[in-house]
Amino acid sequence: MTIRRPRLFPLVLSLPLLLWQLAFFLFPLVFLVAISFWTVRNFQMTPDLDFGNWERILTRNTFWDAYARTAMLATASAVLTSLIAFPAAYAISFKLSDRVKQWLIFVLIIPFFTSYLVRIYALQVFLSDAGIINALLGMLGIGPFLMLNTTFGTLVGMVTLCLPLVILLQIFSLNFVNRDLIEAAHNLRCGRLRTVFLVIVPSARVGLVIAALFAFILSFGDFVSPLYLGGGNPPTLSIMITDITKSGQQWPRAAVVALMMIGTLLTVAFAAITFAYKERGK
Amino acid sequence: MTGNRNFIIDVLLKLHIAACVIFIFAPILGSFVFSLNSDRFPSLPLGQFSTEWYRLIWEDPFVWTGFYNTVIVGFVVAVIATLLGFGGAYTDFRYNFFGKNIYLALALLPPTIPVVIMGLAMLAFLSRVNLSGSTISVIIAHGVMCSPFAMAIIRLRLSQMDPDLEAAAWNLGGNEWATLRHVIIPFTKPAILAALFITMAVSFDEFAVAWFVSGLNETLPVKILGFLQGQVSPRINAIGSLAFVSSITLIILAQILLRNSSKEKS
Amino acid sequence: MTFNLRTPTRRHLLRMTAGAALATPFLSIRAAAQTVNLSMLAWYGHAEPDIVGEFEEANNVKFTPKYYTGGDNMLGLIAQSPAGTYDVILSDAEYVQQLNAAGYIEALDAADYAFDDFYPEFQKFPGHWQGDTLYSVITRFGFLGVAHNTDVLSEKDAASYGVFSDSRVTGKLGHFDWHLPNLGQMSLAAGNASPYDIDEAAWDKVQEATMALRGQVGGFFDYGGTFSSLNDGQMVVFAGIGDWITGVLEKNGAKVRTTIPEEGGLQWTESFSIGKGTKNYEMARKWIQWITSPEGQAKSADMAAYPALIPSEKGWKVLNASNPAEAKRQNMVLGQYNAMDMIREGRIKYRQLPVQQSLEDWNDFWSDYKGA
Repeated sequence: MTIRRPRLFPLVLSLPLLLWQLAFFLFPLVFLVAISFWTVRNFQMTPDLDFGNWERILTRNTFWDAYARTAMLATASAVLTSLIAFPAAYAISFKLSDRVKQWLIFVLIIPFFTSYLVRIYALQVFLSDAGIINALLGMLGIGPFLMLNTTFGTLVGMVTLCLPLVILLQIFSLNFVNRDLIEAAHNLRCGRLRTVFLVIVPSARVGLVIAALFAFILSFGDFVSPLYLGGGNPPTLSIMITDITKSGQQWPRAAVVALMMIGTLLTVAFAAITFAYKERGK
Repeated sequence: MTGNRNFIIDVLLKLHIAACVIFIFAPILGSFVFSLNSDRFPSLPLGQFSTEWYRLIWEDPFVWTGFYNTVIVGFVVAVIATLLGFGGAYTDFRYNFFGKNIYLALALLPPTIPVVIMGLAMLAFLSRVNLSGSTISVIIAHGVMCSPFAMAIIRLRLSQMDPDLEAAAWNLGGNEWATLRHVIIPFTKPAILAALFITMAVSFDEFAVAWFVSGLNETLPVKILGFLQGQVSPRINAIGSLAFVSSITLIILAQILLRNSSKEKS
Repeated sequence: MTFNLRTPTRRHLLRMTAGAALATPFLSIRAAAQTVNLSMLAWYGHAEPDIVGEFEEANNVKFTPKYYTGGDNMLGLIAQSPAGTYDVILSDAEYVQQLNAAGYIEALDAADYAFDDFYPEFQKFPGHWQGDTLYSVITRFGFLGVAHNTDVLSEKDAASYGVFSDSRVTGKLGHFDWHLPNLGQMSLAAGNASPYDIDEAAWDKVQEATMALRGQVGGFFDYGGTFSSLNDGQMVVFAGIGDWITGVLEKNGAKVRTTIPEEGGLQWTESFSIGKGTKNYEMARKWIQWITSPEGQAKSADMAAYPALIPSEKGWKVLNASNPAEAKRQNMVLGQYNAMDMIREGRIKYRQLPVQQSLEDWNDFWSDYKGA
């Protein structure tokens, strides 16, 4: 059954996506690589083959500080979101009736239909010194706490962004966990927590890791939370990109930062997926 | 599992779910409240009840054109991305070929690229080929960003399909096209619908790339970003609340439709 | 049964929402068909009804704005769009020369505009002219100083840039996130008479003094962020801004104000140019003539998005007659010590690009400062 000549059917199905992504995704990225070697004089870009942009960015401590900070924030967001999400996903997947489950999934999809910007804008009012949370805490006689324009604020925004997606992805992976396995574990008098960690988590690993990976990716590239909840203080890589383009039309240098970010994300994604699909048992 | 239930833990878990839902929805609810509040810069205690912000956006022709652009882009993108995604998902499901990994990488990578970078690259590229600054450029960019979601959703559904099903159809003499029409598409229909909705939703909310490439043809989210960066205005909340209500209506309609069709079958 | 009931309802609903949604915009689209469409690239607010409404009505024209946030953003937008995309372009003074050098704007005929109405200081504004050729017409300007929350800091407290390092504002000092106004103020604070034309030694001192403030900083904000963080008291003192922000908040009842310190203040300046390749040159010219007319100027001074001083002396007269409260608030009252006197005393310096260092150096230092 070897295919001798290209047939129409597979081509019609597979080519459009390939062509679209080649033309409108790969080309722009390749172009970005090219731009990173261009030079800027008097606010004007000229095609060139100049390594100065790379040198300038990669030799500056400010870049590496921002790089480390962004990576840490994204990691913290991924871990935090996963930890908050897991008990909820677990309970939704295992403890609730199908009807309630369906409704909750529906409820969790809703945030995707609301503007992230609007939510962040509202969060400002919650987190500010005289904001809603501090007002509520004040009634209890505690606070006020500084939350807006801090790393904490940034993290709250990132968790807001990622939590619904992570819970949903976790639910889907938990739904695929074989119920018989759990039954078996219980029959063997395996305790509740041990069942979760020895049976459920390993068999849902792929989904859990991918959920965390998505949280990392979203947080790593997000510029809204660091800017509007973190006060841009100190800046992350995405803020740095907009900063660089904001002064003197340094698009080539912005391209360098962008490419470094893409490289990092690809590495992390590759590592995470390798880990997720690694043969179990060893 | 029955013997192992623990009442306290179950209650705690349910409380946790509630806490998560509250956390997720507090900002949405907050923005709704602020949209009906007279203060330009909302803070506690709240000002008076006011529909002023709704009146302002209702009378703002730019909000309307933005809304139109958003809807047009959303619909076109949903269709394009779902078609592309379906093809990609089926290709991955059905075929093995040299370079498949590269094909998949190209198909699935866009969401991993931070939007700021995507916008930058898109604008730089599209303006060279004279495609920037129009609604088409937003559609192109969103097509790139949304098709992976469509592909993932449909691929997930395909993986639940019994592989023998397709083979059986072929054995019964159906050619590939007929099988696609009578077996694959009906089976993946819920996923296709879901893909249409999700891609539309992603496009509706996308502001960063659209900001870069839309030029004068701004979509509504780009307008919101403008309000946020420029004149901070509760119109943000009013637009957000309206968008929210209309999307929810759409989802509920979709749910009802899906439920009806599944009832019909069974 | 249920299915039968539901279908018509759904259809009905769709028809209803579609009808409601379509009605309004179609009207405006039809109206737009007969009118001239004038696109404007500007800071937020310049093409809002309170400013352009009257002109639109009188000339059967409709503005399509694209709002930018900062001069570089503006240059980027023009660079990436086909020529003729933007008919009128509002620019900060620093960027007019860049626009000109890149060939983005048309030469103008100086005789078309009422420069005789203007104060002499503004009849030949540097950078707007290339030799004797006019490229951009000044329309409004404003001062930058110490923006402060009046509950926490009095005008006396804010009379020196030294207040930035006051212990009362630790963690409450906000920066408008653009190096030019911030570093210009720090340069004034260091006693440089021309804050942007400083030698290496002076530049080192400015950097040192700025870096020493880092612990005071609560955040770096864009336009919108500056508004909200000053308004809700999250930041009590702000560097790099002026009445164009605090004026709006003040009018909304917030207790904030900009004080021009002893060391002097900076001036931002906005002007209108006509985009190269425009198909609406006539209408664009008409617009600039209108906004620089005495009536247009008085309107511009009290623009809802952000207020500003105006260069037209005749505009001052109209404003003093029609809106004395705003004239007083902005210190534009004729016949007493006013904003023009501050300029004439030399207390105000133009904001401009660094002269002896490259823009890059200033920018790099600013990002180091932010990241520190």
